[in-house]
Parts: sequence; C-alpha cells; structure tokens
Amino acid sequence: MNERLTEQKSIYLQISEMIETDILRGILLEEEQVPSTNELAKLYTINPATAAKGVGLLVDEGILYKRRGIGMFVSSGARERILAKRKAAFAENHLAPLLAEARSLGISREELLNMIGERSI
Amino acid sequence: MSLICKDIVKTYSGKDVLQDVSLELQPGKIYGLIGRNGAGKTTLLSILTAQNPATRGEISLDGQGVWENRRSLEKLCFSRELNANAESGLASMKAKEYLRIAATYYESWDRDMEARLVSLFELNVKKKLGKMSKGMLSMITIIVALCSKAPYTFLDEPVAGLDVVAREQFYKLLLEEYTESGRTFVVSTHIIEEAADLLEEVIILHQGKVLLSGETQSFVDSACHVSGKAEEVDAAVAGLEVRHVETMGRSKGVTVFLEPGQKIDESRDVSVQPVSLQRAFVALCGEEEHK
Repeated sequence: MNERLTEQKSIYLQISEMIETDILRGILLEEEQVPSTNELAKLYTINPATAAKGVGLLVDEGILYKRRGIGMFVSSGARERILAKRKAAFAENHLAPLLAEARSLGISREELLNMIGERSI
Repeated sequence: MSLICKDIVKTYSGKDVLQDVSLELQPGKIYGLIGRNGAGKTTLLSILTAQNPATRGEISLDGQGVWENRRSLEKLCFSRELNANAESGLASMKAKEYLRIAATYYESWDRDMEARLVSLFELNVKKKLGKMSKGMLSMITIIVALCSKAPYTFLDEPVAGLDVVAREQFYKLLLEEYTESGRTFVVSTHIIEEAADLLEEVIILHQGKVLLSGETQSFVDSACHVSGKAEEVDAAVAGLEVRHVETMGRSKGVTVFLEPGQKIDESRDVSVQPVSLQRAFVALCGEEEHK
C-alpha cells in the first residue's frame, strides 16, 4: 500500500493494483478490512472519488466486498481470483512488450527461447 | 443545489476579460481552475463570489441570485491572494487583527481550527502583514479559506510562495477538511502537477473563455503522447486532433486528444505514452509558442 504513484497509469488503476498486490503478498488478509477511501485519499493526497473508483473496481470483480456501515473487506478466495486474473493478463501485459522489443532489436524466435531457457524462473 | 454562472462577460476598459463563461459547480467536489497568467482566473473567482460585478450574465446559488443577496453570500468564501502593499492599506495591520476581522465575516468561523493552523504553520500573528513574506501571506489566506467553513470556498493561488513542505501540508489539510465536511472547493493554481490528483474536476480558462470543464480523469485519459519516426507518427495519428508537435531530425513527438471512440493506430512503429494533466494543459494552451 505504500508504493509511490506514477504518471504512467491512471491513479484509480494504481490504487486497485496496489490493494491487489497487498493481498497477493499477504499484507492484506482475506476477510480483513481494507483502508477506507478517505484513508487512501489522505495517504496518497488524491481525491477520495478517485480512491473510491479504484476500490469500486475490486468490488465489481468480487475481490472486495462491502459490509454495510463498517467498510470494505477482502473476499475469501480473493487471492486465487487475483492470481487467475493476473495470469490471464500476463501474455498481454508482459509478453507483448517483450516481443515488440525483440522485434525491433531483430532478436529471432529461437534466440528469445534460448534466453528464456537459460534463466531459471 | 449548485453554483451556476451563465454567459458571464466582464469588460475592463473595452477589453473582454471574460467571454461567455458558463459553469455549474456542484456541491461536494474539489474543482481546479487552471489557466495561464492573464487568462481571467482571479476575475472569474471574484465574480462568482459577488465581490466584483459581471458586465453581463447571471450567477445563482441554489436558484437564488448571488449579487447583494445576504443568504447566498454567507455560503461563499473567496480567500484572495493577500497583497500587503501601501495601496491595500493592509501593510500596518497585524495578522491577528486580519484574522479577527475575517472571523466576523463568517458565521461558522472555526476558532479551534484557526489556532491549530496558526501553530501548524508556525505563524507569528503579532507580525504586521507588511512585514510578512509571500509564503506567510499565503498561509493566512489558507487559514481564512479553511476556517470560514463556507460551503463554497474559493482559493486563488493558495500555494504561491509556499515551500514544498508547507504545500504538502496544505494539500493534506484541504483533503482532510473536504472529507470531513463535504464542502465545495475551487482552487486556482499554477503548480498543476502537485494538485492534479486532488482535483475531481478541472476547469481550463484560456484567454477569457472556458476551454474545458469536466472530470480531470477523463480529460487526462483522452490525451496521450505519440512519438517515433515522423512518417510513422503521422500515419498513427491521421485524422486525430494533434497538438504540441515537436520534431528533431526524422523523429517526431505529438500530443493527441482523442474523442470517444477514436484510437491511435498502434500497428505503426510508435511509442504511445500517457500524459499528465500539466502536459495536457500545456499542449492545449501553450500552442502559440510552438507555431
């Protein structure tokens, strides 16, 4: 939650990704309350509406849920859901730019596969 | 429940400072008013708060005219930039006295908050305004704005002259007061980069006209920077609204504003990057210098 915001992406997306990352890292646990939008707004000095939009995205995806009058909580199964989502987006988010860079450097498919083969995951 | 101005025109000695300005300020939002020097920001703020009459046009709060209307005026606070020079007659006034006068203007003036902010900013209120630095005078205008508790509060360049620590204190204070009270704030600023994330809505004033008024996020999302080999860039942005063109040899960079549904042709060999509110503003209002 204490990462710095960048200009490379919409703030509300960064807020929702930071909450997700905290869930993946076990900083936020399932069935635990997440900071309120006002707390997030103050921490990042951003408009509370922006923080609410980021949190709202996660509610729509079932990663967070609202307990009336109390606040937002991490859903059970949230960690699995985030993993599945990030895996599904992995090719688009990470492979596409890798391949684009390889193409402009003239790296062949074989060379690229070799490079990957030489590294342990 | 909003502050509405319709077709405002302000003419000073034959020159239109504001031309057909129409805005609706909704309750419970933080608005940013940005524009270059001389764009008419201060004039607009003073007209919206009935401190200055418009040449033409109307301003109403919750359906009631604002001009000489006590009930409406009580809900408005315009904390002007303080100018403690000889003409203003404020030079020999102590900060303490200035704040005491401000307190009598606003029914809901918050004395506790006043004391808290004076000590937070480490202000010596026994000092005369004429002896204060620009930053200290900004602190006083911030104190007046926040402590007024007015439902519609307008701040003109509140961070001018403040050091970076005091500026961050101000942004946090503004957010704190906003989240606790739900008041509406309109903040004019030249330090766009720092305030951008605070502003739910942005109003861009350019040469006396409203160039844009809307959600900050959608405005920023509509703009992007495209760069690469000139021909590739031209092909990628063909038919789009292109601003702020910079070239160097064969290379070219442009800022593009996309209408809903428009897209950049990313099959071209170009880099597409997001732009900040500040860059988008410069692309929109800084054209002349680049022609």
